[in-house]
Amino acid sequence: MAKRVGIVGAAVTPFRSSWTEKTYYELAQMATREAVKDAQIPIQDVDAAFYAIYNDIFERTAIPEHAIHGLCGMQNKFGIRITTGGATGAYTMSAAHAYLAAGRYKTALVLGVEKATDCFDFSSMSATPEVIKSIGWSGDSFFEQAIGWSASDSYAEVVLGYMDEHPGDLKPEITAAISAQLSQQVRDNPYAQRQFDQVTAEEVLNSRLVAYPFRELEICVYSEGAAALILAEEETAKAISRSSGQPVVWITGLGESNEHSFAGKNHKDMRRIMSDYHASHGAYEMAGIQDPTHSIDIIELHDAFVHQLEITMAEFGLVPLGRADALIEEGLMTPGGRYLVNPCGGLIYCGHAVGASNIMSAWSARNELIKRGLKTALVHGTGSTVAQYTACLIFEHE
Amino acid sequence: MARKKEKLIPSKYIPDVGSSIETVEGQDYLIVNDAMYTFYRRSRGEFSAFFLALRDEKKLLGCSCTACGLVRVPPFLTHCPECNFASTELIEVEQVGVMNSTPPITYFATALFQDMAPYGRGRVIFRGADTAMSVNLYTTTGILVPGIISKGTEVKLVFRDKRNGDVKDVFCVPTSELTPDQINKKGLLESEIDWESPVEPKMPKAMKKDVALFEKVFKGIKTIVEEMNRNERARKDIVGWKRNVLVKTRGGQFAVMIDDGDIRVEKKGVRSPDFVMVCENPNTLLDGLAYRGAITDSVINKKLWISKNMEFTTIFKLDRMARSVARSRKG
Repeated sequence: MAKRVGIVGAAVTPFRSSWTEKTYYELAQMATREAVKDAQIPIQDVDAAFYAIYNDIFERTAIPEHAIHGLCGMQNKFGIRITTGGATGAYTMSAAHAYLAAGRYKTALVLGVEKATDCFDFSSMSATPEVIKSIGWSGDSFFEQAIGWSASDSYAEVVLGYMDEHPGDLKPEITAAISAQLSQQVRDNPYAQRQFDQVTAEEVLNSRLVAYPFRELEICVYSEGAAALILAEEETAKAISRSSGQPVVWITGLGESNEHSFAGKNHKDMRRIMSDYHASHGAYEMAGIQDPTHSIDIIELHDAFVHQLEITMAEFGLVPLGRADALIEEGLMTPGGRYLVNPCGGLIYCGHAVGASNIMSAWSARNELIKRGLKTALVHGTGSTVAQYTACLIFEHE
Repeated sequence: MARKKEKLIPSKYIPDVGSSIETVEGQDYLIVNDAMYTFYRRSRGEFSAFFLALRDEKKLLGCSCTACGLVRVPPFLTHCPECNFASTELIEVEQVGVMNSTPPITYFATALFQDMAPYGRGRVIFRGADTAMSVNLYTTTGILVPGIISKGTEVKLVFRDKRNGDVKDVFCVPTSELTPDQINKKGLLESEIDWESPVEPKMPKAMKKDVALFEKVFKGIKTIVEEMNRNERARKDIVGWKRNVLVKTRGGQFAVMIDDGDIRVEKKGVRSPDFVMVCENPNTLLDGLAYRGAITDSVINKKLWISKNMEFTTIFKLDRMARSVARSRKG
């Protein structure tokens, strides 16, 4: 029988637009040092390491985890890297959970780290065009890269497909209001890249179009940083918890789904993010959640784009498909509303250090559950072309 | 059919060997210009027939499953996973189709596609196909803006005059912009279409009130630009950038000079501007610089005309500076 697995330690480095002072070696070690300190265990007590690093090009090496294994004190132990686009962090937590649940190890380090803005475009003398070019190498190399595939335009395809089906939803004033709200929530996150970048809905509407229909202030920002968790199987987790005095936050549900990357009949349905639907509902089933609208208190959602945040909330079953604007119009996610969505500010305001992002979301969900005395959180990661990949986790705080 | 001799990586993208120092909180850090590059001689393998048909015969191929009959375009597999891997066979499909969904339009492109922006990329279900093929989308009427192509819009496949055997050999335009002969022609070439070339908009003759408006608005622009010049965050947005821009409005013209962190405006002409901006009402530019609406959007909405699409890069930088000043004002 599978063992219960819980989180006993967590940490993040500050997320920044650029970490001139640190390489990814040091960022990885910083997060690891803080995570074991949080769990109050020595690194020698950690049995295995699971590395979440998205993009070889960002780290400028093809096996980026090899150096950090020893630097993080994991010499001669199990180490594996997971990379699944934007969902890298969530999938890495899923992999670590599987090894612990199966009894292979008692404790695990889940470590996400990413550089990004070392990439630099010398023709425009700015980093961003080169960063998004590097991500552009993730598109289909036979049929799409050469015609300008990018993360923004591929997610925009899905958003526009949804808007074709539901023309009255995802109204500009609502996406702008959500962005403005996230910019307020980020105030409480001292590790966020944009902690003090509060914007109004009007400013969001006035920001420039990057890829139709996305405006600059509706898109996650690329960051550099690291995040780490210490996971443990039930008995070990309880022992660590007794020693540290911190409660265990249990991972009670997981679900993962990857869609087809080509669209059409029997293939990807551009009107939906079925990966979000399948992964979330798989996680609910595993956690025994019958009605997520009653059970889920906190959602740490991978908001690559505000429009996608709304669709994802609908695919989670937390708001009806076609009525995602109810998140604001009916106050479902406004302050004091039914759901607390992205208290960390999300990836739009905390930042998107790709491999580390979902682990940062897990760090936030765990902190918020403990701090607010709430019971259940949903953590989400999305990635690849056309929102193809999703992994979801349910956290429970007893 | 091969393209004229050109380098895989254009020299403009290749930086010089070099290094610099960046100081953060009193500590120096070494920054080194670097690159990670790999060249390929890469087989198109099972996709060769598809790409050769595009290049040499101006034909569009798909594959049909011998069991379920599903037609996939492009023919991205040889056996159907839905039918226990029954084999598929190549078939030709028609060169007219409909948009599977409304296509996105990219304005801020990656470093590789800045020459191409703004561009549309979307998925077309060609007649005879069940799956959608990803293509670039253009309008014959100038810059592609939202509303021209949407879900269900009928489009025609157009072939580049010079083709290299890759997906860039083709693109689509709305059939509503073509003649019946063009729509029916198999292998329609880009040179067989009348493309509306960008023409500088003609300005109505200036009246006294236009000149007065220009004088007033120019003062506002000058004040904001001077504030940008004093703002560290905004100056950082144009580090390493150099442009001389001529701005024409109904009531008068002026120059915007950007030079590695500095920005200035002067009421004068520019002999060889890097590009020209035309906006009948100078408030269009003033609003953008004052962060009351993006200059990018004014270009898209045709309130402001630029002589080179490539210069969207400069427009983005001006938008960025406006935001930087707005952020700084908040503290």
